[in-house]
Order: sequence, then structure tokens, then C-alpha cells
Amino acid sequence: MSASTPEVRTERLEAPSASRRSILGFFMAVPPIMLVVCFVGIPIIIALTFSFGYTTGPNRVVSIIGQQIHKKDHWWGTFAAYKDVFKDSRFPGDFRTTLGVTFLSTAFTLLMALGIGLYQRIMGGRIASIMTTLCLVPLFVPVVISSWAIHTFYAGDGYMRSVLSHVGINFPTVTSTVSAIVIGSVWTSLPFAILMVTSGLQSIPDALIETAQDAGAGFFRIVRTVLIPLAITPIVIAGTFTAIGIMGSFTIPLFLGPNQPTMLGVEISNFFGAYNRPQQSIVMAFIVFASASGIALIYIWANIRSAKQSGRV
Amino acid sequence: MAKRVKARAKTSSLGTKIFLYVFMFAMAIFILGPLLWLGVHAFASNWTYPNLYPDGWSFHWWSKVFDDSALKTAIRNSLIISPIVVVASMIICLPAAYAAGRMNYAGRKTFLIGMFAANSFPKIGLFASIATLYYALNLMGTFVGIVIIQLLGTIIYMTWIPAAAFAAIPRNLEEAARDAGASKLRVFRTITLRLAMPGILVAVVMSFLASFDEAQGSYLVGAPQIFTMPTEMYSLVQNYPIQVAAVFSLLLAFPSVILISLARKHIIGGQLAEGFQIK
Repeated sequence: MSASTPEVRTERLEAPSASRRSILGFFMAVPPIMLVVCFVGIPIIIALTFSFGYTTGPNRVVSIIGQQIHKKDHWWGTFAAYKDVFKDSRFPGDFRTTLGVTFLSTAFTLLMALGIGLYQRIMGGRIASIMTTLCLVPLFVPVVISSWAIHTFYAGDGYMRSVLSHVGINFPTVTSTVSAIVIGSVWTSLPFAILMVTSGLQSIPDALIETAQDAGAGFFRIVRTVLIPLAITPIVIAGTFTAIGIMGSFTIPLFLGPNQPTMLGVEISNFFGAYNRPQQSIVMAFIVFASASGIALIYIWANIRSAKQSGRV
Repeated sequence: MAKRVKARAKTSSLGTKIFLYVFMFAMAIFILGPLLWLGVHAFASNWTYPNLYPDGWSFHWWSKVFDDSALKTAIRNSLIISPIVVVASMIICLPAAYAAGRMNYAGRKTFLIGMFAANSFPKIGLFASIATLYYALNLMGTFVGIVIIQLLGTIIYMTWIPAAAFAAIPRNLEEAARDAGASKLRVFRTITLRLAMPGILVAVVMSFLASFDEAQGSYLVGAPQIFTMPTEMYSLVQNYPIQVAAVFSLLLAFPSVILISLARKHIIGGQLAEGFQIK
């Protein structure tokens, strides 16, 4: 490493000014923005107009193919497709199932991730690392496989019932019940939650925990007053990601849930494909969007809060 | 310090210990049970309820999968589509990730949140929306249609994780190299890119898996013309015995196991978790 030459120095002074860098940075960001605008933003807007009965333009083909299409009867459109969905006798059960499964699965996932993460942070040791590693296994497994594996494992002729029947326990058939959807959702959501929670807890300095220990605080007190408040942002991120993922899931309720009531993800796919009622399918999609955007706001709030705390905003 | 933390663990009571082992055992069954059960089926000739072991062992179901042209086509489709998706995703997203990580351009944060928001729409609803557009664009049941659908699932990984990796590189390292006379390109290649590599690697692995394992969207826009391995599973589980699905599952899980093992150190080391926090 020799000393710098004057030549290099002058070159560095000519480096792009802040505003030029800003413009360049913006242009570099354009390709993914275009992709998202074209294939997320525009489709959602078009679908929204379709749900209100705009059946011309880009919606022409789908309106010809689909059945029970409502055309707009006011300048702003029509609520007919929304009425269809809300009047459908299956909808209330499906909606409740979707919200219930999302809430329960997220709660269980967070509890398990927190329990294991906190134990690992405070106690450490072999048991803790075995458990964390175990929880990462689902990361390796595509969701179609895991759903099917869980389906057969808890089925009427599955291994759970086989083993327990030998010790005289008549284990219930879990497959095709709402509980099975919760089991499958927790199973697939664990790795991400564990990764977020443990990395959040690891970043808390040992000294803080030890000071609390020296002051005589027990396990639960340290957790409640030191660890959870300091790691709240990654915990909230884990929770929101989990909840949004579960709310829009399709494969897990399809393979594991009952035929009726099921989660809206399955109904959206059924209405779009099997029943050929795309307009009603889109209406349900927007109901799920609306529910999920509430969760997304919590995520953004948590992120801004943590950015403020560390003085980054 | 660490010693004292460990010493506390040793003093935990017998009751706590028993509880921990029971909990660990339950976790092991909960997580590994279904996988082992399905995996063993791939080598079982038949399995009668409620026996604890299969009736016999056989490779019969493997030949069944490899002789079935529909299943072979699905494997081929997956192996073609996923690499295309990952390369396209890298070309589209990595410059943006660099910009988001290094250049403080206006709207940088809006960009990252926007990419996240795009990912936070419930997937199946988004796919139904895209499918209505696909009808108009004639993309239903086409390769391009599936590539675009799968591409959408990779954006969040390919922007956020590398952006965090680029942002974490100390500027003074690069400046020192420039002072030592290295050209801009050389600094970028030997320092910036090399230090960001673990993050990019994790992004590539996660993107490949997101694409390779994507089932809902590919099924909605691809079936019944084009099947990939995961979408083939939907019809497989209905029309074939469980052993065939088991063999297919092992084949489908193979790339994930290899790739995640390769990148394991970085994924668990925090690149993934780091990447998902707005800075």
C-alpha cells in the first residue's frame, strides 16, 4: 500500500456530486419499480375496476370467459359482485376461519419463537441450539411437500394414530380440520420467526442481562423488562410477516383444511378456476387485501419507530 | 461472561430439565415426524394401518416417477424456469439494491417499503388479479407468464438483502483502496462486491427457492398447459398413491437441501434477518 498519487486525488474530487448520485440512484431503482408497477400495481387497479363492474378494456377477455359477471350500472360501477360475496352463505364461515387461523397460528408461532429464542439467549447450551436448529428445518422444505407430509402424518391412517393406537390412545384425526391448518401454518412459519427473533435478541448486550441478574431479577423479569422491549422491532416484523403470509395462504388450507368452511385463499382459487366466477374471486381477494393492509401498517410503524430510536430518521 | 451464563444453566432444577427434554422431544416429533413419515414412504412397497413399519421395501415407485412423461416434463420445466427467474431477478434488482444500499437518493426508503408492500399483498389474491390481466395480454398458460409470476416472489429477497449487505460495507475500506491507486472498477470488484457476496449469495439462494417452490401462482396461470414440480404435486396427490408423491417430494426437496446447506452459515449468521430491517 503506497502513498496516494496526486492524480488519484484529483479524480476523487471529480466524483459525482450528491445530486448526480441521487439521480443515478433513482434510475438504478427503476427496473424493479417498473416490474412491480406493471405486475402488481396495475393488475390490482384493473382488478379493482373489474370488481366494480368495469368489463371493457383489459377486463374484456375475463368478462367473456367468466360467469355471473356484473356490469356497472352507475357511473362509478356497481356493488353487485360484493353483494354476491357477502350474501353467499359460505362467506361468513370462510372469513372467520381465515381471521381465526391467522390469529392463532401467528400467536403460536411467536410464542414458540420467543420461548426458544429467549431460552437460548439467557441459558444457552446444547438443548437450546438443538431446538433452534430443529426450527430451521422447515426452511428446507417446499410448502407443497410439508403440507402433504403433515396431511398424511395426522390422517386417519397416519403415523400419529398408528403409534398411539399401540399404547391404547385413540388420537383424533386432525387432517381436514381447522386445527390441521394451524399446525401446518405454524410449521411453515417457524423458521423465519426464529431467525428474526434470535437475531434481535442476540444484538442485546450481555452486560445488560447480567446487570439485571446481579440486581436480583429472575428469568421472567429480565424477559419482561429488558429483552422484549429491546427486541420488540424484530418481534413485530416476525409477527406481521407471519400473519400476512398465513392470511393469503392457499396450499396449506387446501391440503390440510376441511372442505367447508375453509380459508379465503382456497375460495379465491376455487371461484377463479373451478367455479369460473372471477369477479367474485377478485372481490374476496380485496377483502383479504384490506385485512392484510392493517397488519402491514403495524410493520411499517415498528420499522419507523426503531429507525427513530437509533437516530436514523 | 459466557461462563457465568452457562453456570446458571447447570443449576436449573430437575423439573425444569425434564420439562425441557419433553418439550424438545415434542418439537422433534412436530417438525421431523411428518417429513420422516413421508420420506420413508418413498422406499416402502405398501404400508398397512396401524403397523409401525412398512410391509416391505422397494424402489418400484422411483421407476414409476421416472417413467411417467408428465412428471418428467414437470421436472424439466422447473429446472429451466427457476434459473431464468434468478438471473432475471439479479439483472433487474441488484443495481437497485446497490443504489438503495449506497446512494442516499431521495425516495430510497419509499423504494424499500414499496418493494415490501408489493410483497405483503396476500399472494393468492394478487395472483387472481394478475390472472385477469394475463387474459388480456395472452399470457395465461405461457412460460413468460410463469417466469413473471415467480419473479415477483424473488424481488423482496433480491432488493432488501443485498441492499443491507452493500450498506454494511465500511466506506473507508474502499477509500483506502482508491488512495492506494486502485481503479474504481477494481475497488468495486475486489472490495465492494466481495464483501457484499455473502448477502448476494443468500439472496440468490432464497430467490431460487422462492421460484423453485412457488406453487400457487404458477398453478393459477400455468395449469393446465404448463406444470412445474410444485404444481404437479397438486394433481399428483389426488391421482397417485402416496408413495409416488413421496418420491416426488424427495426430488423436489433435493435442491433446497443442497442450496441451504451451502449458504447455511450466512443465513443463520444473520444476513437474512439483517436484510429485513429498514435502515
